Amino acid sequence: MGPRRVLITGVGSFLGTELARRLSADPEIDYLAGLDERPPRARLERMDFIEADIRNPVIAKLIPQAEVDTIVHNKIVRRPGPGMSDRSAHDINVIGSLQLLAACEKADTLRAIVVRGSAGVYGSEPAAPQFFTEEMARRYPLRTRFQRDVAEIENYFDTFSRRHPQVVCTMLRYQPSVGPSLDSQITRYLSQPIVPTYLGFDPRLQFVHEADAIDALVATIKNPVRGPVNVAAPGTIGLTRLVRLAGKPTLPLLPGVFPTLTDAGRRLGMEAISPDFRRLLRYGRAVDISRLVEEVGYMPRHSTVDAVEDYVLTQRGRRLVPVFREAVAR
Amino acid sequence: MSTHVRPERGSGGPAGSGHGPPPRDPRDPRSVRTGDFPGAFPIGPAISFLRRFRGGLDSGNDLPAALAEAGSTLPRELRVALDRLLSRLAGDYQEDEWGFDEEFADALLPFLEFLYDRWWRVETIGARNVPSHGRALLVANHAGILPWDATMISVGMLREHPLPRYPRFLVLDWAFALPYVSVAMRKLGGVVASPYNALRLLEEDELVAVFPEGVKGAGKPFKERYRLQRFGRGGFVELALRTGAPIVPVSVVGSEEIYPKLGEAPALARLIGAPYFPLTPTFPLLGPLGVVPLPSRWRIEFGEPIDVARFGPEAAEDRSFVFELSEQVRETIQGKVYDNLVARGSAFL
Repeated sequence: MGPRRVLITGVGSFLGTELARRLSADPEIDYLAGLDERPPRARLERMDFIEADIRNPVIAKLIPQAEVDTIVHNKIVRRPGPGMSDRSAHDINVIGSLQLLAACEKADTLRAIVVRGSAGVYGSEPAAPQFFTEEMARRYPLRTRFQRDVAEIENYFDTFSRRHPQVVCTMLRYQPSVGPSLDSQITRYLSQPIVPTYLGFDPRLQFVHEADAIDALVATIKNPVRGPVNVAAPGTIGLTRLVRLAGKPTLPLLPGVFPTLTDAGRRLGMEAISPDFRRLLRYGRAVDISRLVEEVGYMPRHSTVDAVEDYVLTQRGRRLVPVFREAVAR
Repeated sequence: MSTHVRPERGSGGPAGSGHGPPPRDPRDPRSVRTGDFPGAFPIGPAISFLRRFRGGLDSGNDLPAALAEAGSTLPRELRVALDRLLSRLAGDYQEDEWGFDEEFADALLPFLEFLYDRWWRVETIGARNVPSHGRALLVANHAGILPWDATMISVGMLREHPLPRYPRFLVLDWAFALPYVSVAMRKLGGVVASPYNALRLLEEDELVAVFPEGVKGAGKPFKERYRLQRFGRGGFVELALRTGAPIVPVSVVGSEEIYPKLGEAPALARLIGAPYFPLTPTFPLLGPLGVVPLPSRWRIEFGEPIDVARFGPEAAEDRSFVFELSEQVRETIQGKVYDNLVARGSAFL
């Protein structure tokens, strides 16, 4: 028996709304609820929208009333949006997850929780294996606030699933999503007129296409497995190649001054670069996706390079290199 | 430069400005002066290119059109090379999921071949012992501070093997924290020395090269040259047993003389976080020049592959068996190193 009644937290985000759209068109889903403090980005006829802040204890009353069997926890802030402090992002991530679990304690009908977490929990380490498998989460010290947040969230859900063996808890560890309609830290980074990089570093990066990000969630809702599962596109791309495909000039900075200069650039209107994104730009990260493919049964349709190319196609701008190429090719 | 056209100068010929006669055939021997000196900067074509480009701009073309016009004056090989370079600048190149960039490696090959042929006069024996396809583990002795021995094993494989392929290397993880070095390592097929990486590479049927001596081998003093150090914990044997990959023992002679290590500066090593800081007759005395390796004579021998698949993957659990096999491989390589030392004769001449 597949899931019938689903609740999505963070339904006001791009991926939350898209997931709700997909599920409301799915005949296997009888009932769909969405929880967030901001409304979904599209009108969804079949979805009950519960307007509530995930940090508010009132959700412990609202969620059991929905009588769902599956909860998708999508309210995890990767990049604090405009007007959001690091502190409130941390509160949403940690306190929000705790409140959600308190609500789950009271939901007797619950059978599965799917958490859209982050592969950021592995960090970015020069000496790490080239592909992280799910067991490697605690090999290195937790270095950034976001990394500690994700590790803490995973701990809470892990403890919950051990205390409630009837509930299957899947922690999806997402690599950064990239795609034509998505607004994420990496797409914002690439949309700057000039892109700061670490001088002498060209790390391997790995993404997931936005369509695969949603389909992997749908596949996990239909076939939840216990424990962490990496979600990423096959293959990797070097940062240099990524920036060149995006057609942007780079500004290589000495590692010692990178944080200072990018913070100064932020005051001048450049994009903010969070500490874990900074480490990603220096050392990169890739994960092994065999658990997603073999146990969840989902194979991403786009490789990392496909995802990047799909994103680049939607970006317009004057690019010099093709002009020169045309010149010599004649 | 003034605007009047000077006729007949250098190989630029009469095609002075954009109003001149049509561009000459680039294969015209007069315009391809560079053919005699491969790699030399093509002055003649560059001048005619610039003249034509300027002429194009003067006659009111916009920048791309003028470039395209002028581009047609360049010799064909140069245009192909430029096209390749520009397409790389547009991000049009391939890297596999490990970050290995074959085109980059190929571009570096002429330099490594110079070292192979002229500098170290490498003689490679038994390259056919390396399986042509499928997984295999090359196990070699390690020396010489910088991993030149890894590059020479690669060139030896590419030059002497009937079905050449690039080996992948397990590299000390310290290298991956360094600027430029980390990029070069991964583009040339290096990965962090971790059993997870090695297992995955072997399962992908790659040719993987390991130096089980690690830092102990590369950093040993000159007076202990060609005496193989302990082979770690025998991890490479476990890998071979688990994946059923044959072990090919590789013995390298010559790498010990390239940087004769006379001493160490542990304080400096701690300061930069390096595993050790070598003192050689030329380094750090001559500064950057001290990094130039001495031109010793080399021999590389690929030995008979040791088939370990018959023991089965469960043999990897047996500690004493793993140590025994590891010791056996070490002795094989040590024996071949002595044989090749004798065969090589004089170290430098």
